[in-house]
Amino acid sequence: MGESFMYQYNEVDQKLVDERVEQYRDQTRRFLAGELPEDEFLALRLMNGLYIQRQAPMLRVAIPYGLMSSLQLRKLAHIARTYDRGYGHITTRTNIQYNWPKLEEVPDILAELAEVQMHAIQTSGNCIRNTTTDPYSGVSANELEDPRPYCEIIRQWSTMHPEFAYLPRKFKIAVTGGPEDRAASQVHDIGLHLVKNEAGEIGFEVLVGGGLGRTPVVGKVVKSFLPKQHLLSYLDAILRVYNMNGRRDNKYKARIKILVNALGVEEFSRLVEEEWAFSRDGELTLTEAEIERSKSFFKPFDYDADAANDTTLDEKLAADKSFAAWYERNTVEHKQAGYRIVVLSLKPYLKAPGDITDAQMDLVADLADRYSFGEIRSTHDQNLVLADVKKSDLYALWQVADSADLARANVGTLTDMICCPGFDFCALANAKTLNIADQINEKFDDLDYLYDLGKINLNMSGCINACGHHHVGDIGILGVDKKGEDWYQITLGGSSKEDARLGKILGKAVAADQVADTLEKILAVYLEQRQEEESFADAYQRLGIEPFKERVYAAAH
Amino acid sequence: MPLLINQTVVTDEWVRLDADQLEANPELPEGKVIVPFTYFLANQDALAAREALGVCVNGDDDIVALREQQQRFAVIAIDFPVLRDGRGFSIARYLARDGFKGQIRAVGDVSRDRLGYMDSCGFTAYELPEDRFTPEDVAAFTEMSVNYQGSVADPRPIFRR
Repeated sequence: MGESFMYQYNEVDQKLVDERVEQYRDQTRRFLAGELPEDEFLALRLMNGLYIQRQAPMLRVAIPYGLMSSLQLRKLAHIARTYDRGYGHITTRTNIQYNWPKLEEVPDILAELAEVQMHAIQTSGNCIRNTTTDPYSGVSANELEDPRPYCEIIRQWSTMHPEFAYLPRKFKIAVTGGPEDRAASQVHDIGLHLVKNEAGEIGFEVLVGGGLGRTPVVGKVVKSFLPKQHLLSYLDAILRVYNMNGRRDNKYKARIKILVNALGVEEFSRLVEEEWAFSRDGELTLTEAEIERSKSFFKPFDYDADAANDTTLDEKLAADKSFAAWYERNTVEHKQAGYRIVVLSLKPYLKAPGDITDAQMDLVADLADRYSFGEIRSTHDQNLVLADVKKSDLYALWQVADSADLARANVGTLTDMICCPGFDFCALANAKTLNIADQINEKFDDLDYLYDLGKINLNMSGCINACGHHHVGDIGILGVDKKGEDWYQITLGGSSKEDARLGKILGKAVAADQVADTLEKILAVYLEQRQEEESFADAYQRLGIEPFKERVYAAAH
Repeated sequence: MPLLINQTVVTDEWVRLDADQLEANPELPEGKVIVPFTYFLANQDALAAREALGVCVNGDDDIVALREQQQRFAVIAIDFPVLRDGRGFSIARYLARDGFKGQIRAVGDVSRDRLGYMDSCGFTAYELPEDRFTPEDVAAFTEMSVNYQGSVADPRPIFRR
């Protein structure tokens, strides 16, 4: 895979995915031949990312901790073109979903993925899912350590784990490397934060029992400092306590958050410590050599020291207002002078949030090769990132991205929404989301208005399962079904960042045609009452929900 | 019901009795029997003289009590009441870790596609429903030749091998 600085499979890694493809091919064959009962194949296909959805099967392919090479992205484009309808959808677990594969062709798709060191293992099912992390890992100035080497260690440990493949429910882990949380780690089953103790050693703060869905909960600290060599043995202890004690009588009460709440965090921690006593300092203890080996795959790129001397960027910014707007919104400070992190917006006007066509994938792969060391990252808010772009290359990159509808200057704004596919695709959904996303885009297309609003997270889910993370948006929208009609419940004041908190319900749900108008009223309260540079989140914290509630429901009387 | 040991179908020397059978016919047969662990707990005195004894447990049983008494048993059968109940994998791991030397037998919802994981977790015998078993199914033990985590047979994770 050339010179790219990301994890490279060795013979064992490759053999595992190759054998997994053949194993699944045989499972599919036996199912189609009637030798494997439906309910059993269901569990097996889910553990390979294959759902049966409203229209067709849906295949979710893993992008481990959101990192991929240009070669891999071209393969994803090829799959979209060859086996699907020419597009894919980036998910909040930084994976990619295809909405129209044929069940009998899935083994061939998996074989193609294995050619580029990819797979769909454990992207669904009651097992440990794709570990996610900060999309700015390794390039943000204030991180303690790059979290990706640990993500890769967790990826290997959790992949085809024989004991933890039939957990009470799905299990999600996120890792962050510094004080800022861009991975929603506190609403994960396990959140791991790299921290430094008083002795100056690096280890993990461990949170357990966060999650969204029907019972949204912010995770609780079970260990304030875990020396890093104990990472796997401690995870092993948590998972075993959960596997044995998590509820299995009701799938809506089966997540680890319910267990932690039922036992209390002290009792849960005690059980974990008791279990950990058996495995601590045992075979799962990470060796210094293994940590160093994993780190060796994520070395910083060979940055150009001259890049800091660039003067062309300022000229372009002064000359081109559209470019300047994009630079302001869609690029982020890089730890290396002369470089920027570029966010490619997958939230174009009137198109499904998070969707990307095969041609766009190919184009992003080309941009990555030309301008960003051949690497691409997917983000939990459903965009793509080119993490290492020279300032002097930004203008050229922007022109190409803009021509492919990948440069809408809306990152971090109201129209950069997290959104699940909703009723149009998902068999679980109660209400549509894509039509509401369009309605919001039509209403709030004016960029000056959007920029005036500043940073604001709008998250929308088509059902209570909360794949669109509505509980942790500054503004959350939840689609509900009332007697066959779609209605939308609005929450305010959520956050998935380091100050994670759950939004409060504004009041009774609004009709489908009223969603954008209702948002306009909410935003008007903010614009009228904000103080100086106050963000929507800060204004809400100061004002509380009442003024918003009054404005929205007073008018309706 | 075929019993697989060392990837071979063998004759089962044990008679496994469930709670309903024991209620209907309380007289235990001579020889090697496997009884529910709850039955064992309630009849420990009567069972004390038996040399060859097996018990059958599932995730709802008192696993702490089982682990305390495990050396008393020649066979511990772990029941998978439904496919989605994965507690049996951890129970097997506990027994193996505690040094149990007898047979760890998977019973209940046991089928080809989980044999590999069961083997890694320390199971040594598998009761498979007649209609769900063909001799080719033993390929399941070897179709995945690599793992990252290690297994009961070789507990070293990949980075220690």
